[in-house]
Amino acid sequence: MENVSPVAAVTPKKKKMNWNRLLPWVLPVLIIGGWQLASSTGFLASKTFPSPVAVFQDGVALAQAGTLQRNIAISLYRATMGLLIGGSIGFALGVLNGVSKLSRNLTDTSIQMLRTIPHLSLIPLVILAIGIGEPAKISLVSIGVLFPVYINTLHGIRSVDPNLVEMGTSYGLSKWEIFTKIIFPGALPTILMGLRYALGVMWTTLIVAETIASDSGIGYMATNAEDFMDMETIILCIVIYALLGKLSDLIAKNLEILALGWRQAKEAQQ
Amino acid sequence: MSRTVRKIGLFVFLLAWVAVAIYGYHEIHGSSSGLTTITIGYQTADPVDIARQRGDFAKKMKQKGYHVVFKKFQDGASEMQALKSGSIDYARIGDTPPVTALSSGTDLVYVASGSSKAKGSGILVKKGSGITSIKDLKGKRVAYTKSTSSHFLLLNALKKAGMSSSDIKWVNLDQSAASVAFNKGKVDAWVTWDPMTATAELDQNATLLETGENGVSSNRDYILATKSYAADHTDTSKLIINYLEDDMKWANNHHTKLITMLSKSLGLSKKVVKKMVERRTYAMGKMSTTAIKEEQEIADTFYAEGLIKKKVTIKNHVAD
Repeated sequence: MENVSPVAAVTPKKKKMNWNRLLPWVLPVLIIGGWQLASSTGFLASKTFPSPVAVFQDGVALAQAGTLQRNIAISLYRATMGLLIGGSIGFALGVLNGVSKLSRNLTDTSIQMLRTIPHLSLIPLVILAIGIGEPAKISLVSIGVLFPVYINTLHGIRSVDPNLVEMGTSYGLSKWEIFTKIIFPGALPTILMGLRYALGVMWTTLIVAETIASDSGIGYMATNAEDFMDMETIILCIVIYALLGKLSDLIAKNLEILALGWRQAKEAQQ
Repeated sequence: MSRTVRKIGLFVFLLAWVAVAIYGYHEIHGSSSGLTTITIGYQTADPVDIARQRGDFAKKMKQKGYHVVFKKFQDGASEMQALKSGSIDYARIGDTPPVTALSSGTDLVYVASGSSKAKGSGILVKKGSGITSIKDLKGKRVAYTKSTSSHFLLLNALKKAGMSSSDIKWVNLDQSAASVAFNKGKVDAWVTWDPMTATAELDQNATLLETGENGVSSNRDYILATKSYAADHTDTSKLIINYLEDDMKWANNHHTKLITMLSKSLGLSKKVVKKMVERRTYAMGKMSTTAIKEEQEIADTFYAEGLIKKKVTIKNHVAD
């Protein structure tokens, strides 16, 4: 399966693409344009709801002071660590429970129970258990990321066609080979979907995490601004979240396209 | 897009991601030294925040062999939690969170007390609302924040006016929600403290119906530590009180600089901050008997109202 070369199959359809590629940006541009128009004409009171230009200027001022880059970098660090730790645990558990019935019976119910606990309610526990330092924030993100990765990994592995596994067995593949050549590639689309979802959860959990005794990060910037009704910064933070979300989604999507080349090649042939 | 381009693009992207994350890591874990670290919790624009921004405090502590780390908190409850778990060594906090924490069995001690903020705390009503005395609040909706100094202020103001707590409609809102509710007229009065009172008075057409003066609520700042920490670090506590006192003297004598500093950190106009600063003084010293008495009054009032379940004797919780 993994030996199929996809390169030849994808032949580019050149010119026609251009319009379609602009299409996703029509809505955001229209919204921002309309918002600016409403602000300039005085339809929106600038004190309660600042214009996009004011938000942009606020961003520039914060960037010049150095706080914006610093906070983004710090948030990115926390998010990445959380993703790595939570993602690994979720993946490992997912694989384990996907392959072993004993382990699944033992742990799946507990994990499903833990999954529905709102992250916000965990904050006091996290403070008591881990304190208020970086580990506390990173572990909250890890907890958030763990579940989507776990569920999708488990689901991906469980829904691999049993006939394929049986075929592998009859071909005399070892258990390890069956896993790496049949189960894992078969589950990969679902796993990557889990990753994509996890990237979204990662950012939302981080905001919650960054309200714990924090003096840095975008979540801190947002809550701090909220305390003093600094609408420009509040909206700036929202925009940054949206952009970071889109960025991580872009990465996940490209990862999907690259890792699942064989699937696209197949689709292109049909 | 060809596969190679996509691959390179993704690689560059991930590389940039990791680079930025590493930069963030270095920003958090700055270089540390061989000094004893003490961690102090604070909230925006409080005495510790002034000392932090002025910078002298940390310098002087460093000369004495301490590395001071400041941790900012959004509210008293989470700060108390952090103090309890040992994540911070000292906490600068308002007058009610310690009472609630003590009644729930947390072993804390008062290390220092600040000056009264009675003039900046009080009950706000809209100008021209027809409410001119506490008695007029009967049956009205009053916004407050549960278990904060506003809660005590309102209880005590009602008591002093000879009313009972069931005479008004209590609306528990956090400060930002209360500000909006008050502004939109969804509540008739709002009990709060500076800088919210000053903002409301200057920007929201509000006036103070009653302040914390005349023994209603002094709303002091306190510095707390856990009992065991304070017992082992009496010298550190002394240094902290002394140096904070220096900063408070500076604050009293340099209003222009202080106003610029606070208006920046609060994100409020200088006009508002000026009003706030000029109606209070700054001080920090060992727990005074007046402060102990005031805290006891809060504890007794909260106990009588059933807000705390255990009686608290404040004088048993003061650092020597």
